[in-house]
Amino acid sequence: MLVDTALLVPASARADTPSPQKTTVSQGLAGIALRGGALAVFVTVFVLFAFASPIFLTPFNLGNILAQSAISGVLAIGLTVVIIAGGGNVVSGGIDLSLAANMGLSAAVYAALSQAGQVDGVAVLAALGTGLAIGAVNALAVTWARIVPLLATLAVMNVVGGLELVLTQNTVIPAITPLLESLSGSGPFGIPALAYVLLGFALITAVVVQATPLGLRLYAVGEFPEAARASGLALKRFIAGSFLFSGLSGGIAGILSAAYLSGSTTGAGELLLPVVVTALLGQVFSRRLVPTITGTLLSALFVGVLINGFQLLNLSSTLVSGIQGLLILLVVSATTLLRPKEG
Amino acid sequence: MSAVPALGAERRLVEAASRLALPVALVAVFLLFSALAPGFLAAANLQSVLVNNFTLLSIVAVAMTFAVSAGGIDLSVGTAVDFASFAFVSLVLAGQPVPLALAAGLGGGAVVGLFNAVLIAGIGISPFLATLGTLFIGRSVQQLLTNGGNPVYLPPAGVPESFHLLGRGSLAGLPVPLLIAALVIALAAVILARSRFGRVVTAVGIEAEVVRYSGLPLKAHLAATYVLVALIAAVAGLVLTSTVTVYIPNSGNAFLLNAIGAAFIGTTLHRHGRPNIAGTVLGVLLLSLVANGLLMSGLNFYWQQVGTGLLIFTVLALSFASRKV
Repeated sequence: MLVDTALLVPASARADTPSPQKTTVSQGLAGIALRGGALAVFVTVFVLFAFASPIFLTPFNLGNILAQSAISGVLAIGLTVVIIAGGGNVVSGGIDLSLAANMGLSAAVYAALSQAGQVDGVAVLAALGTGLAIGAVNALAVTWARIVPLLATLAVMNVVGGLELVLTQNTVIPAITPLLESLSGSGPFGIPALAYVLLGFALITAVVVQATPLGLRLYAVGEFPEAARASGLALKRFIAGSFLFSGLSGGIAGILSAAYLSGSTTGAGELLLPVVVTALLGQVFSRRLVPTITGTLLSALFVGVLINGFQLLNLSSTLVSGIQGLLILLVVSATTLLRPKEG
Repeated sequence: MSAVPALGAERRLVEAASRLALPVALVAVFLLFSALAPGFLAAANLQSVLVNNFTLLSIVAVAMTFAVSAGGIDLSVGTAVDFASFAFVSLVLAGQPVPLALAAGLGGGAVVGLFNAVLIAGIGISPFLATLGTLFIGRSVQQLLTNGGNPVYLPPAGVPESFHLLGRGSLAGLPVPLLIAALVIALAAVILARSRFGRVVTAVGIEAEVVRYSGLPLKAHLAATYVLVALIAAVAGLVLTSTVTVYIPNSGNAFLLNAIGAAFIGTTLHRHGRPNIAGTVLGVLLLSLVANGLLMSGLNFYWQQVGTGLLIFTVLALSFASRKV
């Protein structure tokens, strides 16, 4: 926790201000190496794929990567906000295990309503409402019933996953609507519309979280709850708000997944751990090794590039999960070993 | 969580009430299904609850309890289950004697535990991240070992009789899997609550620094804990494989969330909200009874998951809301 003493400096200011009090020169250098290292790995992988496959660098393929990363990216960004507001300790701090199930149920609600002949507006509102409702239950469970987020969202995940099964009877509900068609089609410059959604969602969230007083307070609530309380912040409201936001991201991801797969599908829960890893891995792509929206976006894209490149090179995509695991371990070991040792 | 117990009578009453949430829920669920679901109370059904629902999950959840007790968590318990199962099946398939294959299975689990131990005790990575990494790497390794995730079946003809002992045998009229679970539970309870090792592990979970300052080998205890967790989980893998005679890559993960749920539900039984074996076992029993009761009451299969989730949620909410007044 103590590397992040400079957290209360706004992101915009952080770029130019020199390292804060506690960091020594060598730690600063090590930190730069580490952060640069993550980006260097990303760039290296990117360049390797570009040389290895002639298709990789085409705008069509790059757009594809963005589109394929859209669903997990939106979910991981939602999760990142919960982690920021809840603090870095994954067991007692912020986590939302219900996100993937949320996406599954929201997609099912959207698909079921569309199939029942409802117009897009109604179906979209219902899907987003479903996501928000799930977020509200999580928020109440954590702030009012005071259940640890890990457990509260675990129980909610079970309920939501069950509701999805009840609604879909564990089948695929196909849905083809004007909205889904435009979402799964191409936007300007021939880049998939899903890519624009991901970038737009990331941009808005990044601005709010990383460049406004609201975002600054969110970090304060997560990292220094006592200080935040002492300065008059209503901790519970921020934490509840973070769960509402992640619930909404689940709803949005539900609609995106309905567009990507032309309906609802089963097995949404399998996305949970990859999303958790994406959000945690995102910390390496941030300047101070803290959860940030831009870091999470980069991390989601990195995973997307890996999956895409492996497909193009006809390599087994089963390696992707292993590489994700290795990366997270490498990165976290490096951070742990480079951290200042004292108390 | 581990605050000094309050002395006020009212406070004590609240504390007692919060600890009662789990036993009360257990009795209520039992009575409810006895009334609602015909056949629930039949001896054959209750035995099936114990053998089919309770056994494997209780072993994995007991393993998880050690990790939670040491202030961590182990997301790779399922990986240990799978590795044990894979090593066991591979050696039997290669015609090796069953005892050797069983030992190899434990060894397979221990590999996962040692890997975690190096990450957590050696490097100092937080258990959640370390075991998450292990889980992901384990997933790829299993797919590589099985040509992309194909199950490894044992031909019914070529399997020695002793192979089925763990999963399908019975001793003195009792099913062997249940006896193994009982043995694991009893040993774990003694180790965690009565042994020196268990007390140090508990102390690590409450305040690791104190253990370090007391001159105890903190890292050695952490390492031993995660190896023990994986070994216990490996036992579940062996029983599972012996029952179903097939190794399905990455199937062990099915236990993960329920094991975490049971271990944490179990903490509500303890005065200071600490993980404990008795609580974990009651938690597993609750989950097993609910799963079976919902099945027996003829409820749509899909509502069962909703019911289970709602129940866990209620127990947690009752206990947590009343605990921290």
